[in-house]
Amino acid sequence: MQNGERRAAYLFVFPAVLFMLAFIGYPIAYNIVMSFQKVDIMTLKSAHRDFIGLSNFREIFSTPVLSVSIVNTVLYTLGCLFFQFTIGFALAVFFNLGFSSQDKLRGLLTVAWMMPSTVVALLFKFMLSPSSGIINYILVAIGVVDKPIDWLISQKTAMWGVIIANSWVGIPFNLILLSTGLCGIPAELYESASIDGASGIRKFFSITVPMLRPAIYSVLVLGFIYTFKVFDLIYVMTNGGPVNATEVLSTYSYKLSFVMYKFSEGAASANVLFACLFVVSLGYLKLIREEEEIQS
Amino acid sequence: MSAPSRLARWRNPLLNTAGILVTLVFLFPLYWIVVSSIKTNAEIFQIHQSFWPASPSLVAYSDQLKGELNIVRPFFNSMIIACGTMVLSMCLAIPAAYGLARFELRGKKSIIMGFLVTQMLPPTLILTPLYLIFARGGLINSYFAPIIADSTIAIPFIILFLRTYFIGLPRSLEDAARVDGCTRFSSFLRIILPISAPGIVTALSFSFIFAWNDLIYAMTYMNQTSMRPMTAGIYNFMSKYGIEWNRIMAYGVVLVLPVILIFVILQKYIISGMTNGAVKG
Repeated sequence: MQNGERRAAYLFVFPAVLFMLAFIGYPIAYNIVMSFQKVDIMTLKSAHRDFIGLSNFREIFSTPVLSVSIVNTVLYTLGCLFFQFTIGFALAVFFNLGFSSQDKLRGLLTVAWMMPSTVVALLFKFMLSPSSGIINYILVAIGVVDKPIDWLISQKTAMWGVIIANSWVGIPFNLILLSTGLCGIPAELYESASIDGASGIRKFFSITVPMLRPAIYSVLVLGFIYTFKVFDLIYVMTNGGPVNATEVLSTYSYKLSFVMYKFSEGAASANVLFACLFVVSLGYLKLIREEEEIQS
Repeated sequence: MSAPSRLARWRNPLLNTAGILVTLVFLFPLYWIVVSSIKTNAEIFQIHQSFWPASPSLVAYSDQLKGELNIVRPFFNSMIIACGTMVLSMCLAIPAAYGLARFELRGKKSIIMGFLVTQMLPPTLILTPLYLIFARGGLINSYFAPIIADSTIAIPFIILFLRTYFIGLPRSLEDAARVDGCTRFSSFLRIILPISAPGIVTALSFSFIFAWNDLIYAMTYMNQTSMRPMTAGIYNFMSKYGIEWNRIMAYGVVLVLPVILIFVILQKYIISGMTNGAVKG
């Protein structure tokens, strides 16, 4: 009986685990090996490749583009996190004030999160276009700026353009996760604080924020991870340009491998991205474990 | 009437109005993509933007059906890739989710953590190795390549999402079935799957959407234009037709439509998927 039980368990779980090992585990290991080898278009499909130590890493770190992409990835991530978290939080509080249509409306906003990045990218590219874009049209009409902003065409503003587009997708994600957290705060806490004469702002900072802490942490860490690995959105909106102004680690490593065919350097830069995410993920896993310990 | 109660009477309508306004502003891009797709390109380039087309026309849509970059083949490619991903990932992930919810397994925690971590990986990390694996297997330019690659995104999500769902089901159901002589597997098929229908449909639609929305795998593993899905198609379309925004927006509407349909039908479940599948194991 006990044995049959165990066999059943393996039969249920193992196919998926094997699939993931074959198509995720093995590729990750392969990628790490490749970043220490010399792999170009000639040796890509051959079995024998020379190990060249840290040359690939030395090579990519010696070009300014890599450090530009690292800085851009960090700026992009922080910019997106700032907008999607603050606006998402504000909306979460707003849609939790207790009015009849709040759940329906909050639900409607989530549709933005599910849209294909390709379409979001093209839509914002269109809306941000200097000549025919609706965003410039409105900004000029209400007098915020006196002439259209170049957005994606200028090196100075391109990053803002991609941040705006991605924040639109990220806001509902923050909104939903924070709303779930808000629903979990018992109403009595606010009531007793009101009796003690606490103001709205006071209640926000001494009840809402501390009670929401786990939700805030997860939304920030998950937001960081999802934003940090961005590819589609930037590839379609700017393809890293103009002049590397929006080049991020993903797009750069893609270009190294599939445009310049420097596969081992592409692998090396993908590993830099991986290392950054790995550190953050470890932090996140630790967080989850602590949370579970508190719960159990 | 005292001030607070007057405020209380107005509170709900006022907040509802504000809520609707916020929603309209936020969803304006969706309105804009539809409106722009039924404008003429001349109207899009007018100095004064019109918020409703002077003479709405569906030309931008009918244009999609002809020409070298027409939408028909990419649409079917997208459907095949998305449905294929759905089938493959469901076959592997549903039993695994159930196994991880109901059985005691050695290393169960690590397996769950493993799935959690794979969700966080950047696609660029496995892009080249998978390319080589697929090339060796002769799968480049076949539907299997993007289907397998997209399943690596869908499977961990479905497992984490459905596991919490299965844990929530009462154990007594299966125990009763087993007393009646059902095996583990048949009680899983006959009892668990039917009562989990809402969760399974949600997981199905998520895997469909992951694959439907994918660009990077499809464009890397399909270098024949005829095999590419709509996400890659719209990108090529833009490179070729540059600023014919009405046609690009019409293409976008067709690409977004299935996602919106799924969303409208399954909204409630999808939101629970966002909070359960994405956050916790």
